[in-house]
Amino acid sequence: MSEPLLTVENLKTQFFTEEGTVRAVDGVNFEVNEGELVGLVGESGAGKSVAAQSIMRLVEEPGRIVDGTVTFDGKKLVDIEETPDGRMEESDEMLSNREMREQVRGREIAIVFQDPMESLNPVFKVGAQLREFIELNRGVNESEAKTIAVDMLREVGIPEPEARYDDYPHEFSGGMRQRVLIAMALACEPRLIIADEPTTALDVTVEGQILDLVSDLQERYDTAFLWVTHDMGVVAEICDRVNVMYLGEVIEEAEVDDLFHDTKHPYTEALLRSMPRPDRSVESLDPIKGVMPEAINPPSGCRFHTRCPEAREACKEFHPEYQDVSDADEAPHAVSCIKYERVGYEDSDPLQTEATGAFAGGLADMRGDDDGRDPAGVPGGEADE
Amino acid sequence: MGRAQYTIRRVLQAIPVLLGVVTITYFLMEAMPGDPVSIMLGPSPSAQQAAAIRAKYGLDQPLWLRYLNYLWDVVQLDLGTSLYYEVPVTQKILERMPVTILLLVSSFTFAIVTSVPLGIISAQRRNKPTDHVARVVALLGVSTPSFWIGLVLIIVFAYQVSWFPATNLVLPWASPAEVGVDSQLDVLVTSLHHLVLPTISLGTLQMAALTRIERSSMLEVLGEEYVKLARAYGVKETTILRKHAFRNAQLPLITLLGLQLTSAIGGAVLTETVFSINGMGTLIITAINNQDFALVVGTTLVLGLVFVVGVIITDLSYAYIDPRVTFEDAD
Ligand SMILES: Nc1ncnc2c1ncn2[C@@H]1O[C@H](COP(=O)(O)OP(=O)(O)O)[C@@H](O)[C@H]1O
Ligand code: SF4
Ligand SMILES: [Mg+2]
Repeated sequence: MSEPLLTVENLKTQFFTEEGTVRAVDGVNFEVNEGELVGLVGESGAGKSVAAQSIMRLVEEPGRIVDGTVTFDGKKLVDIEETPDGRMEESDEMLSNREMREQVRGREIAIVFQDPMESLNPVFKVGAQLREFIELNRGVNESEAKTIAVDMLREVGIPEPEARYDDYPHEFSGGMRQRVLIAMALACEPRLIIADEPTTALDVTVEGQILDLVSDLQERYDTAFLWVTHDMGVVAEICDRVNVMYLGEVIEEAEVDDLFHDTKHPYTEALLRSMPRPDRSVESLDPIKGVMPEAINPPSGCRFHTRCPEAREACKEFHPEYQDVSDADEAPHAVSCIKYERVGYEDSDPLQTEATGAFAGGLADMRGDDDGRDPAGVPGGEADE
Repeated sequence: MGRAQYTIRRVLQAIPVLLGVVTITYFLMEAMPGDPVSIMLGPSPSAQQAAAIRAKYGLDQPLWLRYLNYLWDVVQLDLGTSLYYEVPVTQKILERMPVTILLLVSSFTFAIVTSVPLGIISAQRRNKPTDHVARVVALLGVSTPSFWIGLVLIIVFAYQVSWFPATNLVLPWASPAEVGVDSQLDVLVTSLHHLVLPTISLGTLQMAALTRIERSSMLEVLGEEYVKLARAYGVKETTILRKHAFRNAQLPLITLLGLQLTSAIGGAVLTETVFSINGMGTLIITAINNQDFALVVGTTLVLGLVFVVGVIITDLSYAYIDPRVTFEDAD
């Protein structure tokens, strides 16, 4: 296969806060091919938005990309290397801020944010906002940009686009605004659109309409999408391939069918079990136990071990290797779980946690558990291997 | 609802406010101790003289009747006669009002012209040295009384180095002959020169408060999702500041401007006193000192009117900048 359109390797983004360093994205790897619709899924706080913004280098203070490489069509959007004296530095190949702005943002990669109510400037007319970005990224004049904008509004299903062009954002409903934002992204003709939970703020019917619209437009325009969501149902509906994120790491990656029918990672399994489905009653839903730990001080070993139903003692010690576990004749299927490694999972005792069902003691037990892992947790997962 | 309709509604809403201002001032004045007649006539006037004066100014009628008569006069733009100056109150106000408005306009202009760039620079260089300096200046500005600033300015710039005059304000509309210069342009220049110290004295407080608001609202707007979106579409940082953030960031500033009109009117009274300017402020003080009933009520009413007009202008500019204002009102 040819080179992927977007390759993210070992991306690390951290926030340097007063409470400590938040390891929001901590060594993430994934790819998006030309014209492909790739999902990035995980619970809230997993680091999906930070990962998405890191690709476009939009992370703001106190956040910083501290390591990794992001390659888009041969260009290094991010390229941080270790110098001989051990400092992390931007390589010469990495695009300058100006190059990012002039060549990449909007032109090659466009983004749609989660909240359609906040994404449009309330004091400008919708058409003017569309036109500005189109002029900037397509290099057309004002009237051409207007034509493109009106056509695109029609494409995304805005009735009477000529009239709506002169309306203010508050005169649109949430769903209509999200259509406008999708039109905005498509109108700039980027090769990749990053959609950061664009339907999360919408109600289910509207969400369905938007997903149908995107599937349809994606085929017609052949734009690649990185679709960020916390909803496995959305993934099932539109994605070709999925990356599952947990606490700053991608822990499983597979084609959609494989992920749903040949689930490898216990976290993915748990996510799928917690997902409402037509063939399941609400009572049979099985939410994931516990809450995701803070990214400021992630658990040692496998980060999911505090909540994993299959966790064993070894999971606390070994940071799993992210590796392809598919057979040679199958599509790649990567996972990061020591069940698939030879580090002694089978011979290890089950961990005593609420999630494994072996949890007997009270809070004291959990605290004991915590104390045991804290010293190892500070330097981060890799140190444990 | 369109902007025109909104404008008409806001103007109509001002009428009850003004009525309230007249009523409250009128009755407060009534309640003040002291008899204006005795002040006019000096100590121990004859009963006959006093009665004549009372009849002349209508002071012999019952309170409610006097109040209604006064209201009726106000509607006809007649604010009565000043006991002290012995001329119609309106004449006195027409003479003094432009001076105070000149002072207000120049100090607000000074405040806006300095605070907006200062606040933006401060926001842009958040927590850098420039920002810290701007914030300290702003803090000093809001915590220093304007008359004190005025006195210090007079001592330093008028007496010690004599750069700017401290008294005898020259009005820009005075004739060249009055001022003793050749042309109207020279009058204007002289006037501006005179205005420097009073303007800084009165405008510093507004400048400081506006700088703080400008900084914080600019910071807030720069964190908005639509600003991030503009950045994600490759818009230059300078364009984001100038276009995407600027307009929204001015909304809190406009609100504050409207509110500051009250404190500025209060400040003008003091500033006029410090710089011996014959404006509304000194007029009010003269009126109060002499228990000049009609003049006190008249000047208060007019300053109230200035304030109400200021608030209406604030609301209307808000509606003009933010299209949601007229829209939400329609619901
Ligand atoms: N500006 C910030 N300052 C500090 N921490 C942040 C900031 N933005 C995000 N984070 C942290 O980074 C982690 C990942 O956040 P995010 O990418 O928004 O999650 P997701 O999009 O998956 O819900 C969270 O722990 C969050 O608290
Ligand atoms: S490594 Fe252990 S804790 Fe982590 S997912 Fe696999 S089984 Fe669960
Ligand atoms: Mg998010």
